[in-house]
Amino acid sequence: MVPDLPPPDGTPARRPFPVGRRGVVILLLLLIGGWAWAHLDLDLGDLAIGREDVGTASEFLARAFSPALDHEDEGTYETPLLVLSLKAVGSTIAFAAAGMGLAILFGLALGFFASTAWWGERGTGRSPTGRVLSLTLAPLVYGATRTFITVMRSVHELWWALLLLIIFPTTPTSAVLAIAIPYGGTLAKIYSEMIDEASRAPALALKGMGASGLQIYGFGLIPSALPDMTAYTFYRFECALRSATVLGFFGTFGLPPTLGVRIREAFGATDYGEAWTHLWMLILLVVVFDWWSGAVRRRLVG
Amino acid sequence: MSARDDAVRRLWRERPRSRFVRVSVLLFGLLLIGCWLYVGADLGVVFSPEGADDLHEFFTEDARPKPLRGEAWDWGVAARWASGELDARGWAAAGATLAISILAIVLAAAFAGLLAWPAARTFATPEAFIPSGREPSWLRRTAWKAVVAGTRVGLVLMRSLPEYVLAFLLFTIVGKSAWPAVLALMIHNTGILGRLDAEVIENLPPRTLAAQRALGAGRAQLGLFGVLPAALPRFLMYFFYRWETCVREATVLSMIGLAGLGYWIKEADAHDREDLLLLYVLVSSGLVLIGDFVSAIARRVVRQAS
Repeated sequence: MVPDLPPPDGTPARRPFPVGRRGVVILLLLLIGGWAWAHLDLDLGDLAIGREDVGTASEFLARAFSPALDHEDEGTYETPLLVLSLKAVGSTIAFAAAGMGLAILFGLALGFFASTAWWGERGTGRSPTGRVLSLTLAPLVYGATRTFITVMRSVHELWWALLLLIIFPTTPTSAVLAIAIPYGGTLAKIYSEMIDEASRAPALALKGMGASGLQIYGFGLIPSALPDMTAYTFYRFECALRSATVLGFFGTFGLPPTLGVRIREAFGATDYGEAWTHLWMLILLVVVFDWWSGAVRRRLVG
Repeated sequence: MSARDDAVRRLWRERPRSRFVRVSVLLFGLLLIGCWLYVGADLGVVFSPEGADDLHEFFTEDARPKPLRGEAWDWGVAARWASGELDARGWAAAGATLAISILAIVLAAAFAGLLAWPAARTFATPEAFIPSGREPSWLRRTAWKAVVAGTRVGLVLMRSLPEYVLAFLLFTIVGKSAWPAVLALMIHNTGILGRLDAEVIENLPPRTLAAQRALGAGRAQLGLFGVLPAALPRFLMYFFYRWETCVREATVLSMIGLAGLGYWIKEADAHDREDLLLLYVLVSSGLVLIGDFVSAIARRVVRQAS
């Protein structure tokens, strides 16, 4: 046994605790997780695949590495399975991109009013009217826009789709709006925060030269926030692809079937091989866009 | 031309730019416009007199609380109706939805906290944070690279399937309980948090870690006493940030497997009870807002404490 020798300067030897008071935080989170487990009345035994569903489960999982390359059941099909799947990829992209396009417009327009940068520096407008306006109207517009975009994004795109389908006639527009509304709200929030966090130096310089508010915004603030905004937009598009797929589970909205529609159909008909064909197609699609958005982000922000 | 113009021109020429980003942005823009035209979305459906009529009809007739149909509007009746519904089902459903999101994110963070290490290129290498002085053998180098690549591929696969699709598939496998929703959220978020946590480790300032390594710390000591304390605040930030999105997704996933908010929204839709549908959508929206709020506070506390 080697006794713990005190360090030369006389302070007692103390083993550093790896997490310190953060340990308490982690313990607390685990406790809350335990509460959730108890509340949901979960039983680990239910996960043991050995009950009546064992057939379905193993049959389905077994096909993961042997997806169907063509239609498997009897019958005549006009288009080969892979062409069908590729078309579904196309309409998933179309759906997501149309929604994203509108969401970007929403995000830019609402993000402008939801940022504090356009107020001017603490109500120091040049004219007295400008000062009054920026002190009274600006916080009002800001607050109203913030509330509006919060409502937009707090409702899930699926609920937006459900509401839009109930309220308006069934058209692709409902589907596009169902993506554009919550994504527009999210983009507006993130854009406005990025604009607010951007360096104010160019804006102040422009202000000093007598530029108008819109000029300050467009040439002083947006350019420094643009790389972050672009990177984030690319990332959100990847999410939009997943959302478009999930919306497909609920209907075609008068669009050509998306991957979601195909996955649900194949799974419902217990064509597990075909279901995996579409699932792998979806994984591939997301991975490709994940790589693309990652590559753009690394060059812009990294 | 003045010297100043020259300087401005030089700065403009030397501004950071990348051909890849330019082409990407151009392609992306064309994709958005092309798809918009292809889909043929027509905002006139919504923003038109007919659209306004549809909206008016929805709020005054379809979504009118049942006891008030054909009656004059009465806030007292509406409030009693809402609180009766919420006491009977709504609050319990909201509680279950919240529990799903919490359990899923705690499990996801636990697994991600394990998977982040082999996914971090600066940690999962023969020369963690400092050159060992000897060139590591080709075999060791390749083995570590395989570990990183394998973990990362696993994480990508976990996050590439949408939660809803995962829950749908899991429902047929594990059956009727909260598990499909919890597992689906957990798998997806493990993939996301694992990647984010690995990036946190890779972006840590290497100096202290290199010093600890040079003093002879093993990989376990380095991880536990060097990396973890430095990375934990960021891990927590990402934990709360993902929990926010978990609450949002849980409102939808709770339609699969157990009676969360999603289940009652779906039921209301199936029975053409638009009044109940709107009520539960509002409750789920409120739950998401509370989640956002709590997460924002928690992240501020973490940021200030670290």
